[in-house]
Amino acid sequence: MIQPVANSLNYQLARKLLDASVLRQEAIATNIANAETPGFRRLDVSSDFASTLRARFAGGTQPRVSEIQSLTPKLAEDSTVRAVRADGNSVEIESELLAMNRNHVDHEFLTELVSRHIKQLKMAITGRVV
Amino acid sequence: MELLSGISATSGALNAQRTRLDVIAQNIANARTTRGPDGGAYQRRVVSFENELLRSVGADGRMTSGLSTVRVAGITTDSTPGQRISDPGHPDADAQGMLTLPNVNLAFEMVDLITASRAYEANLSVAKNSRQMAMKTLEIGR
Repeated sequence: MIQPVANSLNYQLARKLLDASVLRQEAIATNIANAETPGFRRLDVSSDFASTLRARFAGGTQPRVSEIQSLTPKLAEDSTVRAVRADGNSVEIESELLAMNRNHVDHEFLTELVSRHIKQLKMAITGRVV
Repeated sequence: MELLSGISATSGALNAQRTRLDVIAQNIANARTTRGPDGGAYQRRVVSFENELLRSVGADGRMTSGLSTVRVAGITTDSTPGQRISDPGHPDADAQGMLTLPNVNLAFEMVDLITASRAYEANLSVAKNSRQMAMKTLEIGR
């Protein structure tokens, strides 16, 4: 009975993106902790995750739920930023704090989305607005 | 996986920065201490940090990259000689009336103090953010 909700594309996508936002928070925590470590390269969620996700939606087609479930976000060194400091560290504290705030908003939106799905299901079961 | 994501990296950094602040406070407090337990003028202390790997990332399992935190590697003494001034009336002056001052440079210490407290604040805001995210996660479905 509850399969259609748990297996809906949006719900599964929100799940994966929540995983990614928690991982990104971990990466940002590491980056800020190591803001003064010489040679440290900033970490972020691997760009494979975003590009695979984009490819799945390419051409206006919706991916199957199983395709989304097989995706796993991973952490990787961010090779897109260059180290501008003499010690080879590629962390910029301002952009890390901005990324952290953006990630916070993303996380809030996704938890809300997942909550709404569950609330809808509860409403269908009880017949009352929860 | 922790409930508060990244809290071990953040707490390590907070600890390390606080130690650094303590040492800077000690250096500034002793900026004019001309007699220590060893009889000589105070020598400034320097904190050095080291990197500690928490979890390796990357499929190949190489240990170079990963979630890592910082911790205090050690507190060493800066052995640069202090400034020598002529002050024959001073009780710690030598036979020639010369007095060795500590090698503490207040300007350096103040800059270091600002850097350390900014780094501390940045890590603290990460900890706050992690907490808010965890609270939000716990509210899923409510």
